[in-house]
Amino acid sequence: MKTPLLATQNLEIGYVNGKPAGNVVGSNLNLHLFQGEFVCLVGPNGAGKSTLLRTLTGLLPSLGGEVLLGDKKLAEFTRKELASEISVVLTSPIEVGAMTVNELVAMGRFPFTGLFDRMSDKDWEVVQHSLELVGLTGFEERMVHKLSDGERQKVMIARAMAQESRILVLDEPTAYLDLPGRVSVMNLLHELSRQHGKTVLTSTHDLDLAMRSADRFWLMSPDGKIISGAPEDLVLSGDFQQVFARDQISFDVMNGQFSVAGSNEGAVCLQGEGEVKVWTERALQRVGYSVREDSKQCIGLRVDIMGNESGFVWRIGEENLKMDFYSLESLVSYLRTKTPHA
Amino acid sequence: MIKADNNHKLRGNRSGILILLGVLLLVVVALNLTLGSVRIPLRDIVKVLFGQDGVKDSWIFIIQDYRLPKIVTAILAGMALGASGLQMQTMFRNPLADPFILGINSGASLGVAIAIMGAGLAGGLFIPALNVAGDLGLIAAASLGAGVVMALILLVGRRVNNPTTLLILGLMFGHATSALVSLLIYFSAPEKVKAYSIWSYGAFNGVTWDQLQVLIPVILLSLGILAFLPKGLNALLLGEDYAKTMGLNVTRLRMLVLIGASILSGAITAFCGPIGFIGVAVPHIARNLFKTSNHKLLIPAVILIGAIVAVAADMVAQMPGTQFVLPINVVTSLFGAPFVLWIVLKRKRRATSFSV
Repeated sequence: MKTPLLATQNLEIGYVNGKPAGNVVGSNLNLHLFQGEFVCLVGPNGAGKSTLLRTLTGLLPSLGGEVLLGDKKLAEFTRKELASEISVVLTSPIEVGAMTVNELVAMGRFPFTGLFDRMSDKDWEVVQHSLELVGLTGFEERMVHKLSDGERQKVMIARAMAQESRILVLDEPTAYLDLPGRVSVMNLLHELSRQHGKTVLTSTHDLDLAMRSADRFWLMSPDGKIISGAPEDLVLSGDFQQVFARDQISFDVMNGQFSVAGSNEGAVCLQGEGEVKVWTERALQRVGYSVREDSKQCIGLRVDIMGNESGFVWRIGEENLKMDFYSLESLVSYLRTKTPHA
Repeated sequence: MIKADNNHKLRGNRSGILILLGVLLLVVVALNLTLGSVRIPLRDIVKVLFGQDGVKDSWIFIIQDYRLPKIVTAILAGMALGASGLQMQTMFRNPLADPFILGINSGASLGVAIAIMGAGLAGGLFIPALNVAGDLGLIAAASLGAGVVMALILLVGRRVNNPTTLLILGLMFGHATSALVSLLIYFSAPEKVKAYSIWSYGAFNGVTWDQLQVLIPVILLSLGILAFLPKGLNALLLGEDYAKTMGLNVTRLRMLVLIGASILSGAITAFCGPIGFIGVAVPHIARNLFKTSNHKLLIPAVILIGAIVAVAADMVAQMPGTQFVLPINVVTSLFGAPFVLWIVLKRKRRATSFSV
């Protein structure tokens, strides 16, 4: 049995608000984080993900139980010792101007430089290497406040890497980013753990991205319980769907996506192939039709995808009626006028 | 290493600016020495400075016992206010923080008011024949007053991210302390009230060589603390949480800044009166000039620029060519208040609040 880098024993987390009992967010947490793993902490808003991460990184005292790093208790570490165990990237964008990327990443060397913060050649090498890892070589003299949000978050990850800690903890690093930024940051984290053996723990709301890259999920439910497991296992066991259960929203086990449960307009038999079929299916689902594979026994509505010189043609066949559409937009708007309550 | 080289190159440029600032300081000091209600030729000033004979006795007196101590005081005040302003702006993560705006000077004033008018020091401390113990007592009273207000603001305002809210906090503390000062004035003898109100106009003159013997080491020692702080202050730029996870002992740093900045602003307030806006403006000038937030550079920069600004402000206050001398606070406020307005108006995004 491997020993985990980080483990919790009956950990109780929450905020102390002057009240005697405090505000308990989660209790009886027994979690393990192993060397080289990429773990995503997921759960609905307000479940206490940030509270857990702040407790694990020593920014917030635990209300009970223990956090163990190796076989030493977290509370027994000095800030400086802790800095070489855990480095952190936080959600909110940093508010600093007039600082170069190099200067910012060099701050990762904080635990290693002396009182007067003199950087050795080795320190600069680590800075250089960290920038390389996040793919920002050549950004050294750029000003931090002139970078895009995604680039700035990568610089913060480089700073955390320069800290050469054993564990990298991130609190929703993609929250402020646009979609390409999210994809690229999640890919980077995946790469850091897979190719460079870094142990990464991140909270995220990008379930789709997380599911494609995480080794394990820590699935946190609103009542503060955490179930740990491979994302796929959690979907198959139904735990995932249960934690994210909401009115009107359901998790489609077949395609691994959340969908808005709309009105059910009935079944459509779809005949076609390739990407055009996939996107036609999505368009039909969007207006409330469930899609069946074409079969001989198809009754009711059917859609055939055909091609002509200028593009695709969608042919609707219904009993003795046949109509051709030249874009999904016109197909969808026809189907919507057909529905009684549209 | 490419980067290390780049850094050296940048440092080269920047130390060039530092040297230029040093030269500029010498220039304003020389100008300040020559200007004044009595015209003394530069040649004679040089003679006095180097102890040569052949200069009118009254001129020797004016230079040795009036202009020189005044300039030394101005330099000390500028260095101290610039440095404490920088520390506070970083600690509060707020571009408007400075001893005057946050009401920390008011705390110092209250300390002084108690020292001047309070029962224990019946003689009053502003009679020229002061002893060293009295001077130190005055510094201690002012620093303590400053420290108490700063600690209060830290307690209340640390979680306040909005600079304007912090301004209001400072304003309220200022009002509260001036109410206490008014109360003291109400119950005090007229001559003490007069001594206090003259002090409250703010001035670099009137500090004697004897008093400077106390003020110089106090200021230099407190500035000395700063040599150990750039690393921590830089880490604090990223915010407290990041600073903690990098291994910074935030509480210790905050204590050091609290003590250092209180003594710096307290000591200057004790001897020169409350002087506004140098503390808020100088760090911004430094960031603009050096295009950096790195305290390793900013600290020497604010010390130099602070000295230049204070000596220049004193020069303006002399109203060269006239017999009038303006209170130094009039000058710094006339130039400083629009400066603060400019800071408030130009910062459209928080992300650039500390930038140029």
